[in-house]
Amino acid sequence: MLKIFFKKQLQIESLIYDYLDNLKMTEQHFSEALNSCLKKGVCGDFDFLTKQTHKFESKADDIREEIKALMYGKALIPESRGDIMGLLESIDEIPRILELILNMIKTQKLVIPDFIVSDIKELIEVSLDSCDLLFKQTSALFKKSEELRSLVSKIDYNESHCDHIERRIITTIFDSDIDPFQKLQLKEMIIHMGEISDQADRVSKRINIISMKRHV
Amino acid sequence: MLSLLGGVFLGWSLGANDASNVFGSAVASRMLKFWTAAVLASVFVLLGALLQGQAGIETLKGLTQFTLEQAVVSSVAAATTVTIMTILGLPVSTSQAVVGAILGIGILNQQLNLAGLGKVVACWFGTPVGAAVIAVIIYKVLAAFYNNLKINLFQSDILIRLLMIAAGSYGAYALGANNVANVTAVFVGAGHLSVFSAALIGGLSIGLGILTLSKRVMETVGKKLVRLDPFSALVVLLAQSITVHIYTFIGVPVSTSQAVIGAVLGVGIVKGISTVSGRTLANILIAWLLTPAIAGFFATALDFVIHLQYVPHP
Repeated sequence: MLKIFFKKQLQIESLIYDYLDNLKMTEQHFSEALNSCLKKGVCGDFDFLTKQTHKFESKADDIREEIKALMYGKALIPESRGDIMGLLESIDEIPRILELILNMIKTQKLVIPDFIVSDIKELIEVSLDSCDLLFKQTSALFKKSEELRSLVSKIDYNESHCDHIERRIITTIFDSDIDPFQKLQLKEMIIHMGEISDQADRVSKRINIISMKRHV
Repeated sequence: MLSLLGGVFLGWSLGANDASNVFGSAVASRMLKFWTAAVLASVFVLLGALLQGQAGIETLKGLTQFTLEQAVVSSVAAATTVTIMTILGLPVSTSQAVVGAILGIGILNQQLNLAGLGKVVACWFGTPVGAAVIAVIIYKVLAAFYNNLKINLFQSDILIRLLMIAAGSYGAYALGANNVANVTAVFVGAGHLSVFSAALIGGLSIGLGILTLSKRVMETVGKKLVRLDPFSALVVLLAQSITVHIYTFIGVPVSTSQAVIGAVLGVGIVKGISTVSGRTLANILIAWLLTPAIAGFFATALDFVIHLQYVPHP
């Protein structure tokens, strides 16, 4: 019965799930693009997968704009409007970082040395795990699942772990004999990779606050 | 019919000002379109006035005896006081202005129902205090239910919105039932109107005020209320409506604005935060003392002026 009166809210809810699905696709294509470089070293499918990553990132942007338009169309109460828009904007930082890393590799023609490949794989694996947990946490917020709080601590743990890996990789890079210019390039890329879990952690804490605010 | 214009003007300004206390937060936050809120408020104000406005009318008309001329004078005096206090930015109560004007007329007539007046004044003090206590109780009870509901953010949003509309409609009903006496009770006292006609004309004039001039007030007053979280805004609205409705049963018109301030204070007590500034409380106290005094003065002065006669020198 209520569905007839509150079409916009239901539309927003469904668009948010579409948005999260798109982010998962962005994340998947990013992972494939990066791994194609790490595995083969020749980056055969890299360009195609980078374009695919961009395509899904753009689609997520379009969905976000659609949600925004519906929000300003007076759906939802102002506090929820602000919370959801703020949440989507901070989640949106993640695909932006993913795209930035791929573009760095592409435009700066970065060559990833073998001695850091396994560490980078570990860093990316843990970072993307954080993203998956974050998407799960976002869904938990909209489903009022009890799981929400436990996910905050898992994401927080991943963030600390990623910080540790990031420092280890940077130390390894600067201990090596590669060209100093390449060292700086790689350091910049690793810092951006570390930002993925940092941002996931920030968003996760934001979700926790949104949920706590609704406990009166 | 012309003699009723003072009352209609008072009802119109009451509707324009007080509708913001019931639908202000919903309209200012764009939860509800102005016209939906205005129509709902007008309908429920009229219903409240017709179904439960009688008790308040009986109380006010019983405070003194009026001639029709004095009824008009007291209406105009009350309306002028409300206008002046609004310009001064004080939380004016139409009920206090009307009672002050009646008091002025009563002093002139040397006939005042002191027992009835005592009951009215006690209720003025009881309004913010009662609203604060009711807000504390409602907050605790509703929070216990709300926190245990297995609903997500969107469903919670829908629920709060529906409850705001229901509580706003109830608030409008209570406003009509309680405040209609302010508008037309003096004309019943003067024998110019029956109780039913007074409730009908009073309810219609308040409704007219809501439909024609309440939009801007709803948006400005509502913005102050929406600084509260949606749940607290709902509690304030419910507490204010219940308080005003209780005084309707007692038969004393009270101020919805002061009930709102009391309810906001109550929410602050539960949450352990300061929601009402000392300045606001001081303003209420000033308004409490000034409103009836100014209205009483205007009523006696107006009555004096209209009885001045030109006596030519022989």
